[in-house]
Amino acid sequence: MGEYASGKSEMAVNRAIELKNKGHSVTLVDLDTVEPFYTLRPLKKKLEEKGLNLIAFSREESFGLGETGAMLNPRARWALMHEGDIILDIGYGVNGARTLNLVEGAQESKELKVIAVVNYTRPMTNSREKIKEYIASLGRVDAVIANTHLADETTVDLIKQGNSEIIKAAEELGIPVDYIAVEERLKGLINEENFKVPVKFIKRYMPDAIW
Amino acid sequence: MQKVVGDPRKAFITGNEAVAWAALAAKAEIMFGYPITPQNEVMHYWTRLAPKYNRKFLQTEDELSAGFTTCGAIQAGKKAFTATAGPGNVLMQEPFGMAEAMRLPLLAVIQQRGGPSSGTVVYSQQEVTLTTFGGNGEGHRIVYSTSSHQEIFDYVIKGFNTAWKYRFPVFVLGDGYQAKMREPLEMYDPEDRGIEMVKPYALVGLDGRIGETREPQHLCNIYSLEEELYEVVLKIAGDYDAMTPEVVEYEEKECEDADIIVVSHGVVSRAADDAVKILRSQGIKAGYFRPITLRPFPQKQLREALAKSGAGKILIAESSYGQLERLTKQELYGETVPIKSLLMPGVGIVDSDIVNKVKSIM
Repeated sequence: MGEYASGKSEMAVNRAIELKNKGHSVTLVDLDTVEPFYTLRPLKKKLEEKGLNLIAFSREESFGLGETGAMLNPRARWALMHEGDIILDIGYGVNGARTLNLVEGAQESKELKVIAVVNYTRPMTNSREKIKEYIASLGRVDAVIANTHLADETTVDLIKQGNSEIIKAAEELGIPVDYIAVEERLKGLINEENFKVPVKFIKRYMPDAIW
Repeated sequence: MQKVVGDPRKAFITGNEAVAWAALAAKAEIMFGYPITPQNEVMHYWTRLAPKYNRKFLQTEDELSAGFTTCGAIQAGKKAFTATAGPGNVLMQEPFGMAEAMRLPLLAVIQQRGGPSSGTVVYSQQEVTLTTFGGNGEGHRIVYSTSSHQEIFDYVIKGFNTAWKYRFPVFVLGDGYQAKMREPLEMYDPEDRGIEMVKPYALVGLDGRIGETREPQHLCNIYSLEEELYEVVLKIAGDYDAMTPEVVEYEEKECEDADIIVVSHGVVSRAADDAVKILRSQGIKAGYFRPITLRPFPQKQLREALAKSGAGKILIAESSYGQLERLTKQELYGETVPIKSLLMPGVGIVDSDIVNKVKSIM
């Protein structure tokens, strides 16, 4: 979960494909209650072709529904009952971990990990203090992913500066940082040893999600 | 008022957020609104940010009320704005008409959606006619059609100044794609760019005695005499025409030697820009013309582009069934250049759509 446009879906999709490639059975859930027909819908087929079990409305399922307001896919409510690895992409962000109230078993699960995705170029999280304030507003957070970027305009300096502020904020909150996410094309330019936490190189799938 | 952005830096945000931040930076004091897709995040972010910057928000019971409360706050001297879309834009035409009649510096952001419908929320460019000429009047309003998040930010700031300087209602027109998509932009406080914000001023409750120490304000929305209405409309029309050369804006590329000029607006012009580059690389002399102000339309400038290029054709590309086409044709009355169209209501237009269309008509 995380701030609107922080990179939640991109992180979720990348993680799902990574686990799938390791031979796991993976269920990816679009848990966007504000825009249930937008987020992963355009990518659904493509991701299913990669062998992922996707819980998201397809184009056909949403056809004719128009503006139905907040809507929960019934399959999302029971998503945690699936076998294998389950990734919940909690859309929109403002309700934080409270959105998990909609998912059966989320409060009782010992395996569930709540991860906040933070992008330093988001105006609501563009300083250490704001990041701390924002993460604190989310409720339960078990770990942070530092995902500082500006899409095609991402620079190495920005990655260094933004993510080190996120790491410091997380340290001050006592929350571990799982990794820094960096787009694959910048691989040669990043010295992974400069960071205190692992660097994960990701592929961008969301640019294909124009709806 | 405190600075909002501080040191200018790039941010990765949606178009709706850009509206909220720009309104804050432009020192807007209050937003009135009623939820509607795809403008909701304008309200969401305004309400998240407003308390931190001592600004205000009122959610009204519907769009009529949101429009009229905006009109009321403006009369009281508050820099107020609203944002809406689709059927909300339909409902707000009544208060927008009041703003035209009373010359209220109202700013409204419109994130277009599809139609005909009350409930279709998807992308389209089908609110051009409504936003430019929607009221029961003469369309005496200013409509900026933006094509990027940077422009949304820039024109919301500029729009407040245009409204308060000329006292015509101002609209910043986006669409469902622009509202939701994410891209980088540079945010700034206007004063750091040398932009002086016009200070709001009250239109009612003024000091002095009417007829003795000051003139009456004549904030009138209802005329019962035909001759009086005639005089008022002609006065407004005269002011509008006098203002037009000062506010009209457009973007033009590669028109000097163009054989065909592609006319588009808003987000579609990004595809047109790319298409013209592709066509040029393939030896086809295409030009690009984008009205930034759909009202008032850059009529003189488009006619000049036609004259200097000697272009034998115009192609109008839009995600609607002829709304920009109608607007453009009426502005080009008397020109004999053939006008072809690529009309795709509801769906996005990409560069290859325009490239293929141009090749099919050349």
